[in-house]
Amino acid sequence: MRPENYQAVQLGDSNEYEIFIGPNHPGIEGNYAFRLLLDGDTIVKGTADAGYLHRGFEKLMEGRLWIQNLALVPRICVPDPAPMEVVYSMAVEEIMGIEAPRRAQWIRVMQLELSRVAAHLFTFGGHAATTGMYTPMFWGVADRDLVLDLFEEFTGGRVYSIYNIPGGVRRELPDGFLQKLSHLLDYLESRQNDYDNLLFTNQVFVKRAKNTGTLSKKDALELGVTGPNLRACGLEFDIRKNDPYLVYDELDFEIPTQQHGDAYSRILVRRDELFQSIKILRQVIEKLPSIDGPIRTTIPNPLSWNVKTGEAYARVESSKGELAYYVVSNGKDKPYRVHVRGPSSMHAVQTLEHLAKGARLEDVAQIMFSLDACPPEVDR
Amino acid sequence: MSEKHKEGHSKSYKKLQGMKTLEEILDVAISFEKTARDFYSGMIPKVSKNIRYLVEELAEEEQEHFDLFSSLKDSPNVKKQLKKRIKTPTEDHKFSDFVQLLDLGDKPDDQSILQYALAREDAAMKQYQELADNAPEGELKDTFQFLAFEEAEHKLELEKKYYEIIHSGGPQ
Amino acid sequence: MKKIEYKDKGSILNPLKNLQFFARKPITEKLQPRPASASYRGFHINDMDKCIGCSSCQKICDNAAITMVEVPSIAEDASKGIRNLRPAIDYGRCCWCALCVDICPTSAIELSREYVHTCDGDETDSYFVFPQESGIHGLNFEKGWTKTKDSDLLDRERRPMQEMKPEDRIDNFDEIVDGFTMEMAVEEASRCVDCGLCEDACPAHMHAPNYIRSIYEGNLEQAVEWMYETNPFSHVCGRVCTHICESACSLGRVGEDGVKTSQPIAIRWLKRFAMDHVPKTKIKQIAKKGKATKKSGQRVAIIGAGPAGLTTAFDLVKKGHQVTVYEAQPKGGGMTRYGIPNYRLPEDRLDQDIEVIQSVGVDIQYNVRIGKDITMQQLQKDNDAVVLAIGLQNGRSTRIPGSENKNVKKAVDLLRMIPKGEEFEVPKSAVIIGGGNVAMDIARSLARLQKQKFGKVGITVSALETLGKNFLADDEEVKESKEEDITILDARGPVQCVIDKKGKLTGLETVKVVSIFDDKGRFAPKYDDSDKQFHEAEMVVEAIGQMADISVLGEELTEELEWNRGRIQVDENGSTSVEWLWSAGDMVNGPDVIHAVADGHRVATDIDKYLRKEKKS
Repeated sequence: MRPENYQAVQLGDSNEYEIFIGPNHPGIEGNYAFRLLLDGDTIVKGTADAGYLHRGFEKLMEGRLWIQNLALVPRICVPDPAPMEVVYSMAVEEIMGIEAPRRAQWIRVMQLELSRVAAHLFTFGGHAATTGMYTPMFWGVADRDLVLDLFEEFTGGRVYSIYNIPGGVRRELPDGFLQKLSHLLDYLESRQNDYDNLLFTNQVFVKRAKNTGTLSKKDALELGVTGPNLRACGLEFDIRKNDPYLVYDELDFEIPTQQHGDAYSRILVRRDELFQSIKILRQVIEKLPSIDGPIRTTIPNPLSWNVKTGEAYARVESSKGELAYYVVSNGKDKPYRVHVRGPSSMHAVQTLEHLAKGARLEDVAQIMFSLDACPPEVDR
Repeated sequence: MSEKHKEGHSKSYKKLQGMKTLEEILDVAISFEKTARDFYSGMIPKVSKNIRYLVEELAEEEQEHFDLFSSLKDSPNVKKQLKKRIKTPTEDHKFSDFVQLLDLGDKPDDQSILQYALAREDAAMKQYQELADNAPEGELKDTFQFLAFEEAEHKLELEKKYYEIIHSGGPQ
Repeated sequence: MKKIEYKDKGSILNPLKNLQFFARKPITEKLQPRPASASYRGFHINDMDKCIGCSSCQKICDNAAITMVEVPSIAEDASKGIRNLRPAIDYGRCCWCALCVDICPTSAIELSREYVHTCDGDETDSYFVFPQESGIHGLNFEKGWTKTKDSDLLDRERRPMQEMKPEDRIDNFDEIVDGFTMEMAVEEASRCVDCGLCEDACPAHMHAPNYIRSIYEGNLEQAVEWMYETNPFSHVCGRVCTHICESACSLGRVGEDGVKTSQPIAIRWLKRFAMDHVPKTKIKQIAKKGKATKKSGQRVAIIGAGPAGLTTAFDLVKKGHQVTVYEAQPKGGGMTRYGIPNYRLPEDRLDQDIEVIQSVGVDIQYNVRIGKDITMQQLQKDNDAVVLAIGLQNGRSTRIPGSENKNVKKAVDLLRMIPKGEEFEVPKSAVIIGGGNVAMDIARSLARLQKQKFGKVGITVSALETLGKNFLADDEEVKESKEEDITILDARGPVQCVIDKKGKLTGLETVKVVSIFDDKGRFAPKYDDSDKQFHEAEMVVEAIGQMADISVLGEELTEELEWNRGRIQVDENGSTSVEWLWSAGDMVNGPDVIHAVADGHRVATDIDKYLRKEKKS
């Protein structure tokens, strides 16, 4: 943090104060800073101060072999890394003109939904903590860990799966994995009452969350909001339904929406979505054993693998919204350009600035967490 | 065939056949090695320099055998048995590998030298083996077994050389 | 799922329902690390014996976490493709993606289920780890992420080479192998992991990884440039090289886990492809590159215009010396012309290699036999250095009874007659004695002549060695011979050439070979005398071994030279014990084109050094 940011600054003769939240602050997600102009407890203006996690991913990717980027991309978003590798693989597949085998597509769906479950559990915890409730936070993190156990089981890594590869996935599921998944889903469903009691229908939380950070549908669209944040404003838009990828068009699930666009709506959408993901995962458990065949199509030797000239824009619905990769190849062994269209920069920068205006100081953290923005993905 | 060659070879067989005691058998064996050694040594200056190593090695090996057999005869254990009589073997001229004994001529090449040496070792080996078979159990039998083994080992080494030089274009 | 309506206000009492948690047994996590999952990506393990030091792990590592470290205690074996480099991992950089595992050609490097390592103070170096089989702490943790067939990243299948069908090729000497198309060549080249084991293994150290890369990039001229740096016989080697490079290729390795078959890169066919697709005039320009602009004024005579002699000449001319090559035959190429049939190496390709060498300034005098037309003494007088590269031109005979008959021929003699167009009576039936590539060459050549003349093939090959066990000829040769209706009788030893009363050869008698080597691997044939066979034949061809015709030296020089077990003794630079004489090629190293080329370079370098010194003094 810049040294001058350590002190609150009183501005001249007015009653306005400028203070700073972050980059190291319990009310901030990750390393992210926010500059506030306060009039008493009311925020006059909020300015996002991003860049603390800038690692230059897009540029780094231009210097690495196509396959090496697979190990790089999940790091763009730590809480929800799986969509990164899936969407990168999908983009490369599109340029190459190949398609992952069906079994791989089902496995990818499973991976994406598991990742969504993990990310939402994490967010519940984070959001609860900003209202001073720490037990749901511990629960969220602990239950997410059970999902990570499953990731470890089938991908070999707890957080960064690095499980996908253009053309499919890297290895077959271990024996008995689907049973384990089924047990986990049973457990998560059994936890629903606990979470509801302690968080979602807890009057203390409901009162704090309602009418906090309210976003209108119109503003949401103007600000480029996507994902659960958009659906909380009453717009039923989900890429899984509106522009289906993988095998989502064969799956039976609903798109939960809420109408009020406030923090409470957003967390309710996520709560409902988590159970929709469980519903999808149950279908995967049922369907996957009957889908035979390879899990990967062959790709050339990765050390001399020139992806033919072309470009592709692949997008998926991540736990945070529309995640897309725009990949350009000029026929070389490395990407010519990769652009990551992450949902968080819209949420954490312009939307947060928009919602901060007129909000109270104590709500800033909650608003930010209710938007579920991911600072490493903002900065990239 | 040169006179010397014949003496060193065919005649000694006949001599051996006539022998009755171990002493006589060993004497012939020793002279058998000695004539061979002299035969190879005599050939050294005659052959072309590029294959001289072959004859030199052969002469050296025969010298070793000569020394070995001589010392054997002098060893106390054998000395006690020198007067023992043994049934002599029937002569057997069949050589392994179907290589034929040739007249080596004035300027023999590597192949004919090897073929001659192989045939010679084969004959000696068989001779000692038969003597061993005829000898009663005990040190005498062991002595002949040992002689047969020595000649067999020698023959194996020669066969290896033969294969390398003749069949695969030279030692690698 | 219970629905929560937005308008629900919730209750202050709801959280109290969770008071039941106070009655539950607390969950205690042990301090000890939890065992990781079966395919966990933990610390590396490396099987030192399986690892060949190819550095593929280092190349794929996205974080440059792998350094190849030289381990002097590991024995290198270039011809088998084993290097003494082994990977060391910097855990400050590693991201445990396991791409190193998935690319490893031998499945040597794997990840374990071990994941705890701490240290303090001056032990920070301990994050730089040299993985062994027992793991980084020697704790023998179980394996985690290992290679499976799905996760293997290498392209292990060779692009198939199109060949002429047996019925199309049996009555002519046209080249059998079609060669790659551009697309196939690029695909085949793309399989290379650029480990360079091929370059280490090649006697001439051809820059195979570089030219494979150039072919992959579609730059064939550059590929040829790489080739001419080390081999002026690239056309020949692109067709008939013994390709030690391919035996050493890391793609030829099979990992135990999951991956069952793997084929080495077709390095030889790629070389052939590039040579075939660059025009001769361009190749001539490439060959001239680096030629000295100033003449040294020194003269070198080379005896024998085979690969060894001409490579020496090529190098020496480029270094500014005046070189004359004397060849007893009417054309150059030595055994590659007068030993290898046209269907394996078309004459025009060999002609081109020689033409390129001549274009650089090498003077070849054909039909000049040293020792007869010019004496060695004369050569010594007229030149500053002389190179003897006469090869192994004389065939060995079994000398079995009857082998002196006029219809018992030597393979090398016949193979020399065919390209010269010299007439000989093609037998209706022939037996070949021998099981090496020369035996196959003469068998297949005679078969072709028979087909042309009589419409059918009557060739039997009788070899001491056993097929599939210790047979000498290449598998391809055996397979193709059989396709061409040639009968191969393995494990049979020749007894005698049967001659009838009129002195006419009627055939060969053979006996069953029970075993050919003893348990120590020494040649010690055992025969089964009860199993004798007679093979009727008008001609018996002996194709067992070859030797140099050293009569060229004359008695005096033979006596002056030092010898080593039948061959001229040379030092590692090809220099003989006589100051002005060098020797190279088959006659000192045994029959092989690429060895001859390598020899040529060595000798040329040494002669150049010698001439420079001589000039100064």
